[in-house]
Amino acid sequence: MPKSNLLRRFAKSREFTAIAFIVLLFLGVGLYKPNFLSLQNIMLCLNGSVVYTVAALGIALVIICGEIDVSVGATLGMAAAVSATMIRDGQPWALAIAAALGVGVLVGLVNGLGVAVVGIPSIICTLGVNGIVRGLIYVYSNGKWIENLPFAFKALAQGGVGELTYFYLFALVAMALLHLCLRRTRRGRYLAATGDNVGGAVLLGIPVVATKVISFVACSVFAAIGGLLYVSRVGFVTPIAGNGYEMKVIAACVLGGISLSGGVGSMLGAAVGAAIMASISRVLVFLDFPTDYDNTITGILLITVVVADALLQRRAAEQARRLRLNAKTAARMGGGEKGGERLA
Amino acid sequence: MERDERAASAEALVSLRGMRKAFGQNMVLRSVDLDLAPGQVLALIGGNGAGKSTLMKIIMGIYTHDAGEMWIAGEPIAQHKPAQALARGVYLVPQEPMLFPNMTVEENITMGFQHQKRSELRARLRALLEQMGWRMDVARKADSLSIAEQQLVEILRGLMRNARVLILDEPTSALTFSEVQSLFRTIVDLKQRGIGIIYITHRLNEVFEIATHVAIMRDGAITLYDEVHGVTHDMLVKGLLPPDSKGGETAPARPAQQAPVRQEPLLQAEHLSGYGFEDVSFCVYPGEVLGLAGVVGAGRTELATTLIGRDRARSGRVLLDGKDITGLSTRAVMDRGLGYVAEDRFLHGIFRIADVAANTSAGALPCLGRVFLDAKAEREMAAEYVDSFHTKVVSLRQMLGALSGGNQQKVIIARALSTAQRLLILDEPTRGIDAGARRDVYAIIRRLKAEGLAILLISSDMEEIVELSDRAITMFCGRLNRTFARGEIDQDRLMAAAFGVPKEGERGA
Repeated sequence: MPKSNLLRRFAKSREFTAIAFIVLLFLGVGLYKPNFLSLQNIMLCLNGSVVYTVAALGIALVIICGEIDVSVGATLGMAAAVSATMIRDGQPWALAIAAALGVGVLVGLVNGLGVAVVGIPSIICTLGVNGIVRGLIYVYSNGKWIENLPFAFKALAQGGVGELTYFYLFALVAMALLHLCLRRTRRGRYLAATGDNVGGAVLLGIPVVATKVISFVACSVFAAIGGLLYVSRVGFVTPIAGNGYEMKVIAACVLGGISLSGGVGSMLGAAVGAAIMASISRVLVFLDFPTDYDNTITGILLITVVVADALLQRRAAEQARRLRLNAKTAARMGGGEKGGERLA
Repeated sequence: MERDERAASAEALVSLRGMRKAFGQNMVLRSVDLDLAPGQVLALIGGNGAGKSTLMKIIMGIYTHDAGEMWIAGEPIAQHKPAQALARGVYLVPQEPMLFPNMTVEENITMGFQHQKRSELRARLRALLEQMGWRMDVARKADSLSIAEQQLVEILRGLMRNARVLILDEPTSALTFSEVQSLFRTIVDLKQRGIGIIYITHRLNEVFEIATHVAIMRDGAITLYDEVHGVTHDMLVKGLLPPDSKGGETAPARPAQQAPVRQEPLLQAEHLSGYGFEDVSFCVYPGEVLGLAGVVGAGRTELATTLIGRDRARSGRVLLDGKDITGLSTRAVMDRGLGYVAEDRFLHGIFRIADVAANTSAGALPCLGRVFLDAKAEREMAAEYVDSFHTKVVSLRQMLGALSGGNQQKVIIARALSTAQRLLILDEPTRGIDAGARRDVYAIIRRLKAEGLAILLISSDMEEIVELSDRAITMFCGRLNRTFARGEIDQDRLMAAAFGVPKEGERGA
């Protein structure tokens, strides 16, 4: 009984809708081009989504907390540029990794303090930071590509267990850990509470400011990790590396059922959404459609899902308001206010 | 008020002495003394803006008081934060419950505890529910709860924190009759456990039903404090009124206002029901001010927004000149000569960063040209209103946000008038504006009336209704409960009706 209950609840969940979407997408394209359903292609899609997945996990934390971060693309690019330069110049890999993570912490702190302490709306604060960091990448790299990375580092991206790359395994482990943090630790639950109802969270004495700062730092750190994976997978870094990733990962979260108004969503949803995002470009290739449409389609998907969600929510809110006002008039009908007969 | 002891009594849960608070120039609390002992239910009543909420927010640590002393559970408190207030056993159940809609009941209740394991909390919650005899599925999501259930969750939150003081802010304002009864049973339960309750309400009947003590706040001070069995309905109504009103017959002789010639009514509402009000019938004649009194939440604003076509009516009709205008769009209703000045200037009224001229003409743009607006006509229109209303502006290009509240209000009324050729609905037209501007607004209303405009004046300020109205109606809990002819309007009667006091002192079941 509890098992079937659990199944039923999962079937109603927002993640399920996302999984259903990706399954239908694959089946639909598979009907057209059976090759698309080959194990090799499916694994290519999954493994290829790893950078999106890692960055989406991070930004999901910020979105669940009720904020937004549009600087993840630049953060990813900066972390990639810094680590790639150090690795090219023969520095120890550990140092390069630490530097990339340092970039993440720094950007996250600026975002978090700007939003939670100074009170800048998160879309503006992170948009500004996005510009700043993007500009710094050019300054740092003199506008040149960072190439000629040692083969050993690039080989990391190819290693794996069976069809699954180590990188994707890492993303799955990170997803599981973050999921546990979100559901089982006090801090994690503060995160959802803050996104759900900030006013209520304050009244309960939840440290809202700290919670927000932490979510921004975590988001940027995950973007930086995404940058490291990017370097190894792609093998070189251009000044525009990570450009547009913010839209991809926000769309991934939204597709995965994470509500932009905060409080709702899971890490599984973010990962599934990221897989969808990565698959779309492969779908275009298979359908002989120009891949130039990739961003356009992402944008359309993003807006469609958000609008549908908002419409549903508005209807529910309006219904609740009417119900409540109705309850008010029904209230205390037996009270002393039967003054109708006095109306002359 | 014979409570002269300056020291807090030892057993009091909350003691306040000489509490004072001002927001800028606005003195919200002027020297409030109050005590709450275990097992007491203190009903706190007072009009809108009397300072009740501010006082509660100070106790809760959301605001800090400017002067005065506060003891909670015998401990003197200079200032504290919500987290500390919670730790000291104070819990505020806000008027609109502040739950996390996407979490379960259990998560909502156990959220925010620092040092306890989840399993422990769950066991305590189960024990608490058992103890109270409440049945509630703790696995339900909060957004599926009714308001009454949400309130129970809020109360459970407080009890889980071992709250000794519960503040209930108008808890029944959104409840149905049976829900109110079950809430009252809960309160009796809590009372017997020695929990002190501050119960804010607008409904005087509830005071006698549930409270042990009653305090009335007016203009930031407590004007009456007593045990409930020592007071009567009439005393409470008196306490709510300003001191200079001579009680009985305050209605001044107003010979200047000759009875309007009884023409056909301009606007008629027939058994109109909508969201927030039920079976309301009244009419407004040209050249008269119909006062609509009632406390906030009585359904007045909902009635107005339904008349103007912003909300849908559920049944009944609205007739303008005998023609049915029920269910027309706002634009269509305005084209027929209705205008509405909303209750909340900042939410619905002004375009802060637009200038005076643009704000004045915003409702009349179709008259100002087809594609490009006739800037000269716009200026002339604005200038005319600024002149005739004595609006203090530097120029017509001044941003509206830079004006004082009273002058903003004049501009807004002018804007409504640019379309309101027949009927003007004013919702709390003088809230938050100074005495001089208030006088100007009154003069404007009188002049418009003399020009033959029909005016529906919605206000919770009874003085204002008395001062301006030719006839008056009152709403209570979404129903029109009394109608006053010219000679009958006085503050006592209005106040009593607005607070739902039955006419002959008889109390319905």
